[in-house]
Amino acid sequence: MKIWDRFVRVAHWSLAASVLAAWITAESKLKSVERLHEWLGYVALAVIGLRFAWGWIGPRYARFGQFVAAPLRVLAYAKALLRGVEPRYLGHNPLGGWMIVALLATAALASLTGWLSVTDRFWGVEWLQEAHELLGNGLIALAAFHVAGVVYTSWRQRENLAAAMVSGVKRPPEPGDVA
Amino acid sequence: MSKKGFFAPLCATAAFALMASGAQATGFATCDAGPREGWQPQDKLSAMLKEKGWQVRRIKEDGGCYEVYALDEKGQRTESYFHPRTLAPVPRGAKDHKG
Repeated sequence: MKIWDRFVRVAHWSLAASVLAAWITAESKLKSVERLHEWLGYVALAVIGLRFAWGWIGPRYARFGQFVAAPLRVLAYAKALLRGVEPRYLGHNPLGGWMIVALLATAALASLTGWLSVTDRFWGVEWLQEAHELLGNGLIALAAFHVAGVVYTSWRQRENLAAAMVSGVKRPPEPGDVA
Repeated sequence: MSKKGFFAPLCATAAFALMASGAQATGFATCDAGPREGWQPQDKLSAMLKEKGWQVRRIKEDGGCYEVYALDEKGQRTESYFHPRTLAPVPRGAKDHKG
């Protein structure tokens, strides 16, 4: 069953690639690598902007309204998770949904602070540079938890969720699943 | 795998990465400038560069050099290094520059 549309998949992997590449090219002593790092940030920001819009106008499982759960539902899901009785979600589960929001917001702020710190107006401003570095490292930490969550959920559901983000296809819902 | 089993290494790796990134000099050059008593004040460097038509935004120490963020006389953003003792420009990539 098709869950992730083409735009969501392309946005996911291009954002993942640009964030990882930006992290690797940070703090380079080479001018050309520095330029590459800046461009990776612009690409990331563009992807985030489009993904944000898609979260309002895209198909069902791309929408923030579908996967951003109320705090009580997140808590209930977390409790169920700890007891090992969490239901399978066809879209993002409540914790995963909030991880998407956190990743997009952190990546947006990391890109923005980076962009500002290479403008004439904010050139050399210390707090922006510090914030950019903190956000960049925080983003990588979040991404590590995101991957850990994907691996854990894939194992729990016996379904390769990373592969589903490539093909867009997931196993059809069974009784008890949240569609 | 237990939750503890993968949580701890993940946190340790993150902590190590943060410490490693903070500890090393990340600048474009390093200077051999000797004891601090022989250093010229940052204000003097700032005044010297303003004389040249630069808009100095920030001066800080990095790798034993003075690192300057400025807009140069053409209005170009520049991140330049100067020797704290001689205030001579230090080329990008210089190691233990003697001034």
